[in-house]
Order: sequence, then structure tokens, then C-alpha cells
Amino acid sequence: MKLNRLRHFFIFFASFSFLTSCYSCSPVNRPDGYIYLRLNSNPTTLDPAFIVDVAGGNISSKLFNGLVKLDENLSIVPDIAESWEIEDNGKTYIFHLKHGVFFTNNQEVTSSDFKYSFKRILSPQNTSPNTWVLDKISGAKDYLNGRAEDLAGFEIIDKYTFRIRLERPFIPFLNLLAMTAAYVVPQEEVERRGADFSSSPVGTGPFMLGAWKHNNEIVLARNNNYFMDKAKVDGIIYRIIPEDLTAVTEFELGNLDVIDIPASVYAKYRKSSKWQNLIESAEGLNTYYLGFNCSRPPFDNSNLRKAAAFAIDRKKILETFYEKRGVPASGPVPDTLRKWDPPDTYEYNPEKARRIVEEEWMRRKDVEFYITSDREVADMAEIIQFYLEKAGFEIKIIQLEWSAYKSALNKGEADMFWMSWWADYPDPENFLFPLFHSSNHGSSGNRTQYTNREVDSFINKGQASRDLQERNRYYMQAEKIIAKESPCIFFWHKKHFALRQPYLKDYRIYPIHNMDKGLEVFF
Amino acid sequence: MKHYIFKRLALLFPLLLGITLVTFAITKALPGDPVYSIVGERASPEVIEKIRKELGTERGIIRQYIGYVSLLLKGEMGRSYYTNRRVLDDILAKLPNTFKLAAGAMLIAVPIGILLGFITAIKKNTLVDRIISGLSVLGMSVPVFWSGLILMLFFSLELKLLPPSGTGDIRYLLLPAVTLSLPAIATLVRVTRVTVLDIANKPFVRTARAKGIGKFPLNTVHIMKNALIPVVTVIGLEFGSYLNGAVLTETIFGWDGLGRFTMEGILKRDYPVIMGCIITGTTVFVLVNLTVDIVYYFIDPRVRMHGTDR
Repeated sequence: MKLNRLRHFFIFFASFSFLTSCYSCSPVNRPDGYIYLRLNSNPTTLDPAFIVDVAGGNISSKLFNGLVKLDENLSIVPDIAESWEIEDNGKTYIFHLKHGVFFTNNQEVTSSDFKYSFKRILSPQNTSPNTWVLDKISGAKDYLNGRAEDLAGFEIIDKYTFRIRLERPFIPFLNLLAMTAAYVVPQEEVERRGADFSSSPVGTGPFMLGAWKHNNEIVLARNNNYFMDKAKVDGIIYRIIPEDLTAVTEFELGNLDVIDIPASVYAKYRKSSKWQNLIESAEGLNTYYLGFNCSRPPFDNSNLRKAAAFAIDRKKILETFYEKRGVPASGPVPDTLRKWDPPDTYEYNPEKARRIVEEEWMRRKDVEFYITSDREVADMAEIIQFYLEKAGFEIKIIQLEWSAYKSALNKGEADMFWMSWWADYPDPENFLFPLFHSSNHGSSGNRTQYTNREVDSFINKGQASRDLQERNRYYMQAEKIIAKESPCIFFWHKKHFALRQPYLKDYRIYPIHNMDKGLEVFF
Repeated sequence: MKHYIFKRLALLFPLLLGITLVTFAITKALPGDPVYSIVGERASPEVIEKIRKELGTERGIIRQYIGYVSLLLKGEMGRSYYTNRRVLDDILAKLPNTFKLAAGAMLIAVPIGILLGFITAIKKNTLVDRIISGLSVLGMSVPVFWSGLILMLFFSLELKLLPPSGTGDIRYLLLPAVTLSLPAIATLVRVTRVTVLDIANKPFVRTARAKGIGKFPLNTVHIMKNALIPVVTVIGLEFGSYLNGAVLTETIFGWDGLGRFTMEGILKRDYPVIMGCIITGTTVFVLVNLTVDIVYYFIDPRVRMHGTDR
């Protein structure tokens, strides 16, 4: 009887091993020359006109090109544009296109393709969320509101040359043209595919879309007719894995070639002799901050905002809880972009904080602190709550999921909230104008509802000044006032950390998601 | 029987209408606005208004509901606010995966659960009973996100036998199916045990025993067959709920099923997706329950006897 049981067990084990024996460490049918990367969510669209998420921006940069792009030093360099001239004190741009740039449907890119692509973003028929990228073009607002038939500021000179006139000088305009929304798309394909263009895009990029199994994987194959240096790998396969620990397991098995290191395993890899040398890191163009609602009590009182800044030991939180995964922030502008001395910050001083809270008469002492349902943010919020309650505030944490959270913030319902801002383009203006200009209250970026005419004026002057030193001076003055008035407490600029397999060479991390065209990496 | 099935199917329509009404009201009452997730971090109020108009979310709730129901009557479920893909296409693509996972989990859970439940009943109050019953309590109380990760670490990372994640053939299915089957096994063990013990004390079993019927026919024909009725009910309920998607299991193992799709829809307030998933889920649940009733018809002569009256 015992022998019989043993035999059954053996048969079961043998059949199980047989079933699974064909599986080895690598994914089934892993094609040679392809690198495997992870996405934690399915991109919503790959149509540049509608992309607002990081995953979509990351992939579209490999499928499309714009007029210009950013190089590793964050400088603007030509992409499809061969060259350009800036005239009229920064109000007019003349672009000369490269000849022989083809979409993957073999149509050549011409001036009219750019005009079509730009008009498509601004068209009243298309509800693109990215109109702000191109609405500086003269006549854009009229076209957007259906008051004009054509985009007046875009004038085609010949097949490869066109002129763009702006409403008023806007110096970071070339940076805007390096963004996803300004990529060129082929009119014929867009019109033929209609709504399906978002899941079967056609562009000029170094890769083309091979397959998109929604919620499963996205396959990009190398475009061998790419107009610049071709990619060194045959393709990229993005696997969509929502759970961090699953992605880590896949990476350790060699089924992924690179992963962004999840916070929960950062310390483990930092200490691991096997992996620590394979961690790639880069400064991030972002700012993590605690925002105050400046439009109503209690935080319309700048002294109470300062008290909160004195109350929190940000350095300690960064070094302990955050495991030094960022660099301390002294203002909204990341150090990489700041070409002036950092503004003074309110150093940790709990005594002073308590004194200010006692001195300042507060109608309401309880503060509603809004956060998202993210685990790390929730832990962080408890630490902030601890510090602020020590100073005399009464903090009530309100946790909402992302959609409800954004809705509440845009409507100004929170007294205090935890947020981060990531650069769309590498210019200090991108950290000052959306976050602190009074024209941007709510959904446009200024969720603290901060209003200061002096700051507005410095930002406006900076946007229009062609002289770099003068521009930096305006931005410095704006940042100085912001740091002093403290509509936000700036915590840190988060660093990027990625872990790669030892066989992967020249893998680079870029501070802006659409800078990576996947050209350098190889096995 | 045919009349009964027809009647049950006909009842599905008012039920679905009621479900759409309740779901619609609840989703609209939730805090949050899909437009803010669609527009990203920087959008002017004009753009937001324009998108709201395009989505039709600025209209009154009753007009929105009537619009949705008339869309349903045309056999459509609308397009996702985010991906602009047809919700019906996405659901039809994910349904087979969800079915595979649910069927896989039930194929593992049903034989093991019933067998172990039966063993614990006939070995009542022995060490075997205590061990299996103890394990079933554990199976019911351990959350799938924990058991799933443990199984993944052991079978994928340590033994390198199975892929940790992805949607595909049986190798991809095994881990999520086993994970999902654990609580079902535990429930089935407990239900089977209680029912078998109950039936074993019934007079007809005593009579059968007195007539000298052998142990095997007594256990199978007399006890097990009668114990199956509540067990089938539990199987139907478990299967029905798995067919509505298993969010955690699907998320951990990257399985592209309805659960993940529904959850993403809820988190992003993608109303057409939420509505589509709930309508599909309700239909599936009603159909599974109907199948269970048909199974009763075959395993319980009492149902058959009264069947003509129904």
C-alpha cells in the first residue's frame, strides 16, 4: 500500500515536472536582440496628441520625432529640423526640415505634415489635453475656439521650410517643441485609422509598433529606415507588470533586463554585492512638496506656513524614511536647472514653530491634510502629522484615490496636500509658471492657489527675455519670494534608480521620460 | 424545465436594468472626476470643459442614464474615456482569460476540496481531521496577495519551474489558478465536512447500513450524492465570483482578466468600463446560478419531481 502511494506521488511529480520542464529562466520564445523592460500600467494611448502619462510618453518617443529634441546635457538639438532661425526678438521661428525623413508608411515628412500635426492638437474637433504646448502660436486661441479656419501663425514657405509666429516672445518655445505633443504624425494614416490611431500609431521614430497586447506587452521593432543612427537592439518588449514584487522576481529570473527599483527593495539592492554595481542613477527633474491652500484660513497666513516649515525636520526624513533617494530641495527649481544661488530655507526649529503657532491667532487649528492612497505617501503623511502636531497644529489626514484626490485639489478643498511636480521640459520656467503663476490656479498646476503679483511679473519677464543672464535673474527673484512666502514646503528632488542586468551595456537613465529614444543600449 | 429556463432568462432583463440604474447612481455619486485624470497635470479650465462636453458628463444624470441604456439596447457599451477603445471589445478579449483562470481554479479546488472534506468527515475527530480542518481555516484566512507571492517566490524564483507573471498557456495559468483555488478548497472542505456528517446521521443511511450495504456504495451512492447539493451551491457561488474577476490574483500575476480591467476602470472613474464590467458580471453570475439550478435538477430527484410545477 505504501509502495502504491509512493508510486502515485512519483507519477504526480513526474507529470508536473514534465509539464513545466520546457520552461527555463527566460520568457517563452524570447527573441534574440530584444530587450525586456517593464511598465507598471498599460499606456492609455500612443497618439501624441492625447498622451499625458509617463508610460505613453516613454514609448511614443521611440515611435515619433519632433522638430527638435534634448541631448544629454539638456540642450536643444535638431531632430527632424535641420536648422532654424529665431527672428523678431524671439517672436518668429523659421524651421528648415531635413530631406529624406520618412514615416514608416514610406511617406516623406514635409512642412504640411507639421502643420497638420500642430493643427490637430489645437483643433476644436479634437479634444486634446495638450493644447497648452502649442497655444503660444499666433492665432492658436482663435483656431482653438473655432473663431478661425486656419492656424494663422503657421506659414508654410516651401516643402521643407515653414515659419511659426508666436503671440508674444516665449523663450522656452523650443523646449515645448521637444515635447511629445509636438511630434509629427502622418495625415493620411491618422485620417484612415481614426480613433484606432491611438493603438496602431505610425511615426518616423527609431522603432515601430510591432504588437500591443493590452495589459500584457508592447513590442517595438527596430525601424531599419530610421533617418539617424539606428538602434543597436532589434527591438524592445515592454511587459506590463502592475505589481512591484512580481517585477522584481521577473528581473531576478532574467525575464526583464532593466527595472526601476521599487522603494521596498531599494535597501536590499544597495547592500547586495551582486547588484549594487549594476544600479544606475540620475538626478531627477522633479520636486516633491507639501502644498498649502493659500486662499483660505489657516494657511492664507504666511506665518503659519513658515511655522510648518520650521516644524518639520526634512533632512532627517530624507535620510531615514526616504533612504537618501533624493537630494534636499531649497526651492521649487531643481539644482540641475538652477544657475543661481539657492534661496534661503527655513531650517528645522521646533521651538520657533511652536512659538509662531501660539502667537498667531487661528480660527481653526485643525488642518485637513489630503493625500493619495499610495502606501509610501501614507507613511510619509504620518511622519509630517507627527512633526506638525508637536508644533501645535491638529492634523486630520484624508486619504483619497488619485482621481478623487486631484478633483479635490483642483477645487481647492484641501488645507494641505502632498504632491510632486515633474518637468515637462528642462527650464526653470516649467517649475515656476505652472505652479506659482496666478493665472494657473487649480487644474493648470497652481494647486496652492498662490497669488503674488510680483512673482507673476518676474515669471512673465523671464519668459520673454532672450538674455540668459537676465532671464535667470528674474527666475531667481521669483524663486526667492516663493521660498520666503512658503506656499509649499519643498522636500526633495527624487533621484531615478534603475537596476540592469550585467550583460546590458550603455543603458542610460534620462531625467525626462521622452528623452530616451532607445538608441544607445546594446547587449 | 425549458419553461423554467426561459423564465429565468427573461428575468435577466429587468434585473440588468435595475443593476445599471443602481451602478450608475453609485458611480456618479462617488467623489472624483474622470476628466482630471484624462487631462494630466496641466490643462486649462476651457479644455476641461470641452472634454467634459465631449464625454457628455456635463449633462443631467437622468439624461446620461437614458443615453447609456439606449446605447446598451443597440448592443453597444460605449468607448473607454481614456483609451477610446470599444468597451465591449475589451471585455470580450478579457472574458476568455477570466474564464480560464476561474475554471483552472475550480478544476483544482473542486476535487481536492470535496475529497478532503469527505476524508475529514469520515475520519471525524482524528488527527487527520484536525490537520485538514486546521489547514482549511488557514486557507480561508490567508489573503491571496500573500499566498500568491509565496507561491511565486517558491515555484518561480527558487525552483524556476513556472513563470511568475503573464497571460498565456497552462504554465502561466498554474500559479494564479492554484492561488485562487486555496480559499475555495478551504470553503469546500468545510461545507463538505458539515454536510457529509449531517447526511451520515440521517435515518436512510442508518437503514442502508442495516441492510448491509458495503462501505464504498454507502459512501458514494448514499452519502456523497446527497451531500453534493449544498456543495454544488458553493461551487456555483465561488465560480460565479471568480468569473467576475479576481483583482488581487490578476494583479500579482499580471493576468489580463476582467478583475484588473474593472479595478482600473473604478480607479480612473472610467464610467463606460465600470458599467460594462458590472453588466457582464451580473449576466455571468445569473447564468452560473441558472446552470447550478439545472445541475440540481439532475442530482436531486425532489427538484425533478416539482420541476413540472415551476
